[in-house]
Amino acid sequence: MFGCARLAALQQFEYRFNLFADTIIQPLIVGLVEITLWYAFFKTTGQGTLAGFDQASYISYAFWAAFISRISTSWMYEMMMIEDVSSGTINSVLVRPISFFEYYLGQFMGYKVLTTAISLVIPVVVCHVVDLPINLARLPLSLALVFYYLIFVHMLSVIIASLGFFFTRVHHLTVAKNISLWMLTGEFFPLDLAPEPYRTLLEALPFSSGVYRPVGYVTERLPISTITEGFLSVTVGIVVLAPISVILWSAGRKRYSGTGA
Amino acid sequence: MVNIETSGLTRTYETYKKPEGLLKSIEGLWARKVEHKVALHPTTLRIESGQIVGLVGSNGAGKTTLLKLLSGLIHPSSGSAKVLGYEPTSRSPDFLKRISILLGQKNQLWWDLPPADSFDLLARIYEVDRKVARERVAELTTLLQCTEQLHVQLRRLSLGERMKMEIIGSLLHQPEVMFLDEPTIGLDIVAQTTIREFLIRYVRERRPTLILTSHYMDDISLLADRLLLISQGNIVYDGSVDEFTARSEARQTLSLKILNPPAQDVSLAGHYDLAAGATGLKVELPANAIAEVLQSVMAVSSVQEIKIEEVEFEDVIRKFLEQDVRMRSSSRAPTV
Repeated sequence: MFGCARLAALQQFEYRFNLFADTIIQPLIVGLVEITLWYAFFKTTGQGTLAGFDQASYISYAFWAAFISRISTSWMYEMMMIEDVSSGTINSVLVRPISFFEYYLGQFMGYKVLTTAISLVIPVVVCHVVDLPINLARLPLSLALVFYYLIFVHMLSVIIASLGFFFTRVHHLTVAKNISLWMLTGEFFPLDLAPEPYRTLLEALPFSSGVYRPVGYVTERLPISTITEGFLSVTVGIVVLAPISVILWSAGRKRYSGTGA
Repeated sequence: MVNIETSGLTRTYETYKKPEGLLKSIEGLWARKVEHKVALHPTTLRIESGQIVGLVGSNGAGKTTLLKLLSGLIHPSSGSAKVLGYEPTSRSPDFLKRISILLGQKNQLWWDLPPADSFDLLARIYEVDRKVARERVAELTTLLQCTEQLHVQLRRLSLGERMKMEIIGSLLHQPEVMFLDEPTIGLDIVAQTTIREFLIRYVRERRPTLILTSHYMDDISLLADRLLLISQGNIVYDGSVDEFTARSEARQTLSLKILNPPAQDVSLAGHYDLAAGATGLKVELPANAIAEVLQSVMAVSSVQEIKIEEVEFEDVIRKFLEQDVRMRSSSRAPTV
């Protein structure tokens, strides 16, 4: 698995500009858009606080959410897995003594470690310079939850990629899923702003561990219990997804025709 | 020792046939005509350890399907296969460490990386000591004359250079069973020769069990000691290459130029005709019929030029396969 993680890093370093755009430009633009939205909201409504938190708190949340969501979402590797199944590139994995799950998880994690190391420098520096609410001592635990959540995310990717055995092209499912996650993870807005019973439901789902819980914790919006609950909820999610991914993968493999060669 | 064994191994593919046109595409959203195509009819095989098998057939004959089944890439529709005692579809790591499959039309190394990095990763995946792996890479790149390209990204290499690297990647863990699917396809004559000579040397030294498919008959005739001809998903010939070659050598092409064209059709040895007014003759015939045909010709005309050539191995196979397709409709087996 370490070899696969290393492979991901080697491939990323091969395309310097793309790596820069991926780790810096993209989250920076998303962050600025979300900051603008919150700034506009407080400015036009004239409110000093919302749900007990002030403008600085929301701006800090929005900025961190943009960067953390980049880590906790699978776009590139999920698309690559889907493409590999539909094009038959997967053959090179299937004939080697490594599982599809492990091969892509290794690369996915390697890529995320690399992008985290590069891109998180920006919110850390910005929050320090602009004096936004942030507790950096909480960052390691938040990141630990995010990386644990990535196993859950990867299982979702395996499930979607397995559908490629049946329907060949399923790329748009990834798009639909990731748009849904924009809200479900809390990237769009902190989940505690949602009315009941949606708030309880959204917080209970494992997706909240992708953005809401780690960002809420690091920006001092949420207590440490949110992290432990997050680990628990992601574990339940993994337990639920594991058999589904195994069943779909096995059924798909039986249908597979070794496309393209 | 038997390394590869199949019993009634069959594979059927499900395909969707889309009629032409936009309306038919719209109709295809809810109603699709699914067809089942048998790519491999029940196949029973036994391949001994160390045997080099040439698998030959036209496009779509079922060659690659058989290799994919034996390597565990795809599941059989029925029947069973055992390779090195393992069921290929189980994808047991022990099994996968002992085999290798090279699909000539697919890259199996990493496109963005130099082969040296790919080989390093493969060494980790196959749990080959990295120092040993580096030594093997150095040896193989020297033999294949591609040391200079080791640190160039795969995407920047020529087709021939890429194929050499793919071959090294497939041999790094020294597999006991190798499946090579068109290893020389699309390559120029120099690259073909280098790879062919390398493979000859490698299989003579290491004696892996090897199944090789190729459209270049030189690959087969020089490397294989057993020949499997496959046509429309059926194994139609299974025997030694020597036996097949011997039979093909027994057929010759006789070309004649004659001085006095006959006034009427002449029957030659009862099987061939020399047409009235013809100034020459070109027939493919068994070697033992040549003398009789020549005598018949010389009885009616003086002969200006005689040329006797061996029939190419490739032509014999082609004719055999064409004959099989024709005969299959009338349920008769073709003859060499």
